[in-house]
Amino acid sequence: MLERHILSTRIERPDPSEEAAGARARLAGKFPRNSLRRMTHLGLLTGAALDGVAVDAEDAVVYATTYAETRALEDFLASFPAASPLLFQSSIHPSAVQQVLIGRQQPIRRFWPVTGRRRLVESALLAALMEPAPRVVFTGGEERGGWLLKREMAADLTFAFGIVLTTGPDGAVGSIRFQPGGTGPDGPCPTLLAFAEAVSGRTPLRWRGAGGEWSVAWR
Amino acid sequence: MSPIADALPTGIQACGCLTPFGETEATVAALLDGRRALQLRPVLGQDGGDRVPLALMDSNDMAEALPPRWLPALRTLAASIPRDAWGSPRCPVVVTSSNFGVGSLYAYLRSHDAGHLRHGAPFACVEMLQDEFGWGGQVHVFSHACVSAHVGLMHASRLLQAGLADRVLVFTFDFVSPFVAGGFHSLKILNSELPAPYSARETGSIGLGDGAAFAVLTCEAAPFRIEAQALHNEMHHFTGNRADGSGFAACAEAIAAVADGRRVWVKGHGTGTLEAGRLEAETYAKVLPGAPLVSWKGSLGHTLGSCGLVELALTIEAMRLGRAPGTIGSVTPCFTETVALAPFATAGFDGAVVASNAFGGAHASLLLSHA
Repeated sequence: MLERHILSTRIERPDPSEEAAGARARLAGKFPRNSLRRMTHLGLLTGAALDGVAVDAEDAVVYATTYAETRALEDFLASFPAASPLLFQSSIHPSAVQQVLIGRQQPIRRFWPVTGRRRLVESALLAALMEPAPRVVFTGGEERGGWLLKREMAADLTFAFGIVLTTGPDGAVGSIRFQPGGTGPDGPCPTLLAFAEAVSGRTPLRWRGAGGEWSVAWR
Repeated sequence: MSPIADALPTGIQACGCLTPFGETEATVAALLDGRRALQLRPVLGQDGGDRVPLALMDSNDMAEALPPRWLPALRTLAASIPRDAWGSPRCPVVVTSSNFGVGSLYAYLRSHDAGHLRHGAPFACVEMLQDEFGWGGQVHVFSHACVSAHVGLMHASRLLQAGLADRVLVFTFDFVSPFVAGGFHSLKILNSELPAPYSARETGSIGLGDGAAFAVLTCEAAPFRIEAQALHNEMHHFTGNRADGSGFAACAEAIAAVADGRRVWVKGHGTGTLEAGRLEAETYAKVLPGAPLVSWKGSLGHTLGSCGLVELALTIEAMRLGRAPGTIGSVTPCFTETVALAPFATAGFDGAVVASNAFGGAHASLLLSHA
């Protein structure tokens, strides 16, 4: 069985009407000024979800998102034929975490940027549970799209979460387990938003996938 | 931070790539002949713009067709993958890319044909491949710019080491589009000059290339093995590295520690940018003294997120042939004397280091050896 204990959780779910500029003003105190002006909505919320989480060089970071920096992508496309270098950088996966950690000037050894949709949460949790690092920071989120949302190519909600996972149970508020084995087809894997909401509400989760049984339990 | 590599011995049961020269054997033959796939082409394809070095698998200047131009190429590559229950729990697939089908969004804005949107997002692109190749649901997707393939390889090794899989298919691709060419051109590193990796010249330049590759990894005995893998993320600057080279050293020293006592050569990242090229060459000259350093991006261009696995496939083929291509397009003076400009025999070497770098100061390297 693979298991990690949940040491802390933090969810950012701003008012649905919030745009990047509003988040920038709301969260200004959390970021260096020279980083702040370049940060995307998702980058800002990811940073807020990791506020107070001291990421160490030996920690591993797992990052999950289906759509990533949708607004930067839209704006970069709109900048052609004079393509914007800043928007190009910001639109590249996994920019959100890089915005935060570059702001902190915090190197890390292993960084697992996971994407996908149907089994995104499962993939990210596998990466986290297989990590040898004693401490894993699991973060993820989405930002609400503009024209891409109208084409069903972007998230319709902006949110981010940050979870610290440890190998030891001291001070843990919950645990994530994967028990390989058993038979039967894969069940539906929680969406990234459903996972974030379960973490927020400390709601237990169970499903089958990746050849085993998954559970998220709370104390 | 102590330099520690993940010792994840992993057999490579099958491996292959596709470049503008063709499949693996044809590509290594072209590189040994010193041929360049890069040609000066309009940066925005049919929309024109400055002419920049691009290595494309077709001659239509990145024309965005439906189906997308990368799909026939990926079908060709997929035909050479050994048949298995790919996408099942014991045989998962790891897909990596930097761009996936994002170039299609540029095509959509030009044409307003909604067909381009069907594969514009990473998940949509991968789900299209799942349907196309009959893969099951166990498909893990990673995107970490130009170290994407390395991240996928390490995840695959972890699945095997954890006993969660019998074999893992790692599948990677990146195709150039006006979206990505325009982006690199805006950074001014994609300009009208052909790249000359590790050459000490006045202006740096890169080329971009189409690339795709696969590897079937296993815990069982195989002709080639990945002995160890290392990752490091500087998180210093989006497009620059720490000037003291500590980011390069963190990854290179970790792999060099595993390679201790063995004679290896280095397939470097070497895109053609000056500062990163100098730091990489100096780092490997220091941690692996005397190890020949080559880059093939002066011919193939930078195949972005796929480069780690494309160049791993070429390294394996070079070792199989007993002859490694040199650093095509480069001339003396180079940053270090270890840069190999001409092809050389691999017979006296125990293995090779395959290294890649990416935005955000991401570094990845692995140690490849004969089993």
